[in-house]
Amino acid sequence: MMVIDRPLPDALQYKPAKREVDEAVQKAKLALLHDIKRSVYIYRVDCGGCNGCEIEIFSTITPVFDAERFGIKNTPSPRHADILVYTGAVTRAMRMPALRAYDGAPDPKLVVSYGACGCTGGVFHDNYCTWGGTDKIIPVDVYIPGCPPTPAQTIYGFAMALGLLGQKLKHTETREVPGEQAPLLYASIPYKVRVSIEREARRYAGYQWGAKLSDEFLQTMEKSENNVMADVNHLIAKQDDPRRAEVFRALKKVLEDALVDDGRMADMLKSGLERVVVSGDDRARAIADSALSEHGRR
Amino acid sequence: MFKTIKEILRTGDATIKYPFAPLERPEGARGKPEHDPIACIACAACANVCPPNAIQMLIEADKGQTTWSINFGRCIFCGRCEEVCPTHAIVLSKEFELAVMNKEDLEERCTYDMARCSECGEYYATVKQVDYATRILSQLPGDLEAQQAAALTGVCPKCKQKADAYRNKHRDELVGGKRKMEAKR
Repeated sequence: MMVIDRPLPDALQYKPAKREVDEAVQKAKLALLHDIKRSVYIYRVDCGGCNGCEIEIFSTITPVFDAERFGIKNTPSPRHADILVYTGAVTRAMRMPALRAYDGAPDPKLVVSYGACGCTGGVFHDNYCTWGGTDKIIPVDVYIPGCPPTPAQTIYGFAMALGLLGQKLKHTETREVPGEQAPLLYASIPYKVRVSIEREARRYAGYQWGAKLSDEFLQTMEKSENNVMADVNHLIAKQDDPRRAEVFRALKKVLEDALVDDGRMADMLKSGLERVVVSGDDRARAIADSALSEHGRR
Repeated sequence: MFKTIKEILRTGDATIKYPFAPLERPEGARGKPEHDPIACIACAACANVCPPNAIQMLIEADKGQTTWSINFGRCIFCGRCEEVCPTHAIVLSKEFELAVMNKEDLEERCTYDMARCSECGEYYATVKQVDYATRILSQLPGDLEAQQAAALTGVCPKCKQKADAYRNKHRDELVGGKRKMEAKR
């Protein structure tokens, strides 16, 4: 269901008071970020996540990604932490423990909101028993989106928090230019043939791969100059993977069925793809004729 | 001891160079959904399927505008928007560096104009969507159904219902008349 997100009236929903950062602490934080010359210790707070984020955090400190080469180290107590990583959509029950961890960490500290749930609530954004994101209860410095964020995304987030890398994503607002037109896909191929090929590919290989394979097939048809079937056969012949070849053979059959088979087929294939489909009008007339004659017999 | 060192030297360095060198992502890796505002017709198919409602449509009927928006902070990178997009306007790229300091930077918006119904004058769909549908239907010159639909692309669903009802009534009269004549015979 399409949802248009409008904020609920305050009278309908209790909102917890958000913690604010003192000005002095803010200054100290900026100074720390500007000139940090030691390792940073991380404390991880699970506020009702699915554990996917935790698994990715632990794969970040494995030898392959090795966050410890930057001095980033996991610590078992918030009292030793410089960075607090909050995962999960912040369930109602985890609000107080999350605040205790926040208060337990010494100032200046950084708060990282980790994963789609931590950033905005993710799939649980409108759930009755979550607060929908870390920033609803405490001030957040860095948002790392992803479900879950990959180790590389995690390293990028920490590198950005520590000022090693710059931020790439920017807020964009685009306005439609008057008279702008969306380009038609495969305009030279009759629409019904295109749709039946796409459908058959989806039936064989699912949405993701079906779309890729039908795109490849339709591109071959579109590029073809005189003999479409020869090019399609060539496409099938050059496939190494028998599964791909099978899907392409099925698509070729759909294409053959769409062609008029009354002796004119060879000529039509030579002249390309134009108007080689049984037109809907004929079919409709045939159906109507048969229906009427049946009616007449009664 | 010597054996261990030899083994270590043979294995080499397993750690990736990532923050200091670009990272190669494997084929099929799902990253930031890239939206092409020109190919997009604002049909809301992606907003319909988006499991966490990261993609939303805000329809402002009084202004005659529809705003498509995506929040990367809520996106779970499932790729369903890519699957359903009829114009291939949204495609998952391999871009993964999405962390931000400011929450507003996670959002992307596109605003589209809406078309007025030629009968009642109310906004009913985006201009681009109506244009796209008209062009698709005009690709089917032999199709009676498509011709009828093409004649009604500038009409809102409510007025279209009225037109359909009128046509059905008309057809019933025609067919009914024919039947009566046949029965007389």
